[in-house]
Amino acid sequence: MAKNIKISIRNLYKIFGPTPDVALEHVRKGMGKADLLEQQRHVLGLRDINVDVHDGEITVIMGLSGSGKSTLIRHLNRLIDPTAGEIRVDGEDIMSYTEEQLRKLRRERMSMVFQKFALLPHKTVLENAGMAKDIRGYTTSDFEADARKWLARVGLEGNEYQYPHQLSGGMQQRVGIARALVSDAPIMLMDEAFSALDPLIRSDMQDLLLELQEELKKTIVFITHDLDEALKLADHLVILKDGEVVQQGDPQEILLNPGDPYIVDFISDINRARVLRVRSVMSPPDDGDATFAGDISEKDNLESVLLKSEGDMSLNFRVVRNDQHVGTLHMKDLARALVPTAASADRNKNAA
Amino acid sequence: MATYDSLFSSLGLEQWCSEGKSSGPMSMADLLNKNKGESAEPASIWELPFPSMDALNESCAAFPQSRELTKGLEQGFLAIKDSLSLVLDPLTQPLSWFLDGALYGMLNTPWWIVIPLLLAVVYVVTKSWKLMLFVGGSIVLLAFIDHYDYAMQTLAIIFVCAFLCVLLGVPIGIAMARSNSLQRMIIPVLDMLQTLPPFVYLIPLIFLFSVTESKLYGIAIILYAIVPVIRLTNLGIRLVDKDVIEAADAFGMTPRQKLYKVQIPLALPNIMAGVNQTIMMSLAMVVIASLVSAPGLGVLVLRGIRNLELGVGLVSGLGIVILAVILDRVTKASLARINVSQKQ
Repeated sequence: MAKNIKISIRNLYKIFGPTPDVALEHVRKGMGKADLLEQQRHVLGLRDINVDVHDGEITVIMGLSGSGKSTLIRHLNRLIDPTAGEIRVDGEDIMSYTEEQLRKLRRERMSMVFQKFALLPHKTVLENAGMAKDIRGYTTSDFEADARKWLARVGLEGNEYQYPHQLSGGMQQRVGIARALVSDAPIMLMDEAFSALDPLIRSDMQDLLLELQEELKKTIVFITHDLDEALKLADHLVILKDGEVVQQGDPQEILLNPGDPYIVDFISDINRARVLRVRSVMSPPDDGDATFAGDISEKDNLESVLLKSEGDMSLNFRVVRNDQHVGTLHMKDLARALVPTAASADRNKNAA
Repeated sequence: MATYDSLFSSLGLEQWCSEGKSSGPMSMADLLNKNKGESAEPASIWELPFPSMDALNESCAAFPQSRELTKGLEQGFLAIKDSLSLVLDPLTQPLSWFLDGALYGMLNTPWWIVIPLLLAVVYVVTKSWKLMLFVGGSIVLLAFIDHYDYAMQTLAIIFVCAFLCVLLGVPIGIAMARSNSLQRMIIPVLDMLQTLPPFVYLIPLIFLFSVTESKLYGIAIILYAIVPVIRLTNLGIRLVDKDVIEAADAFGMTPRQKLYKVQIPLALPNIMAGVNQTIMMSLAMVVIASLVSAPGLGVLVLRGIRNLELGVGLVSGLGIVILAVILDRVTKASLARINVSQKQ
């Protein structure tokens, strides 16, 4: 899928402290985060970040707290300015934007959803949803139909005239999402949007987001510290650690070939069968003599295939995409893919 | 011979000392000393006087006495007084008009218009029948004991002064919230206004403005009562949820939109708490300001003190308490209404 690059980040550095430029020189010469703090009294926020965000995809940036992920997403609309580096949106360098241009970017091309919802407590749900339009100078009657439509779409029909404090956390975040959608911006930045919600509601919201994305094809940058969430949503996964990108790429690829012990630790306790999909472990179609136990879609996860096979490891399945035979899944490969990562590192060593 | 003679001689300043002659008027202590004859030198170290201005002056006539400090301040103030009042007089003239207008309006409108009007205002800001009945009862009680005019004068002054405090204080508070250096400059001024005994700044005001003009007590009240509204506006705006401010930025609000759509509405509970305090402090000051011709219940209190008319003093004091309770309840109730609609 060769899609257009919507946002591109090049050699981005962010250093917090009184004289970041001086500290930047040290960082470029290779000083680490701990040394920088100790010797220069500066905090390294981000180091040499290079990420491309593709049009119409969900790019998930994952990392633990302190890894710089929230700092990174705030660079995309310049809520935080970088110490060095380049950020291009639709090919334009937003670092060269004037205040007016930047405001236009934030109003019309980017919207944002926040971890703590950040709704206006003195405005109704409807007014909150229309906030972006209100800022652009529209009156409530102008955006009311739009706001109602999106509120209904996120499941808040009938709550239009309530105030945020009357809603539960999950419903407040639905307002947050509706607010981002009403702005009609092609890019949506989501800063730990679901982290403050309890697990069941979080899962609902993830489904809602995927459903909306299926329909709207927005460019979404999603920040999370939760690997399960990241794997569920990501088309492109970026893993940050201490302000550096450890690995980025297709989430399935990262799961099967973790490039760093840090990531191995990270993925060691997730349910691989639920996350891995058929297309990641299938072999090319061999039209030979194999007998197929059935057809499966390349998008199915391995858990559903396991269920289908009833645990029989000798079966083969035909993998289809739009009724076309695109590959073969041997249950043996499936079993191998399910081996936990600590062991899979060993296996790679043996193979080498 | 005085204690510190040796100090000046050791510094070689005898010449300068004998040339100069302190111009300060003779103090009572000097006079007594003169009558007693030569002052005796302190017998021991136990009686060593602190090297204060007066003690040094004894040894060296050219050294100024401390009374010259107060005299100097006074003369300095008198010297700039004329030019100061040339600027301040026209600047503050509207205050006199407001106060006189409010007093005239309050007293010359028949009671059967004023009382229902006040009750309507109470109902609009509090939406509480109970509170409205309480206020009505209190005013009727005051009117029944023939304190209606005094109470209305006091109320009129408070309304004007508190309104001006809000009008001036809220913008100052907003400016303070936006600039840390401005905050550092204004906070000491506010601290001083709040701790300086109100009688102290009545004195220079009397010099600056005529006692017959109502702006004299108006200024005194505003200076005293404006502090909480400034402080709490500043605090309220600084305490606005950082996340909401960030959202406002992320959606591209201009600074002006941010102020009117986010910061002021979210700071409103704090600002209203400041308004409540300001009104209560105006009431406190309007009583003291009766010393400089502010009309109202304070005049009766003053009469009670001056003539030792115990009954008059007690009844008017009670009237002030009733006004205080009314004002406090009403502003608190409207504050509570704002708080409910702002719950996060």
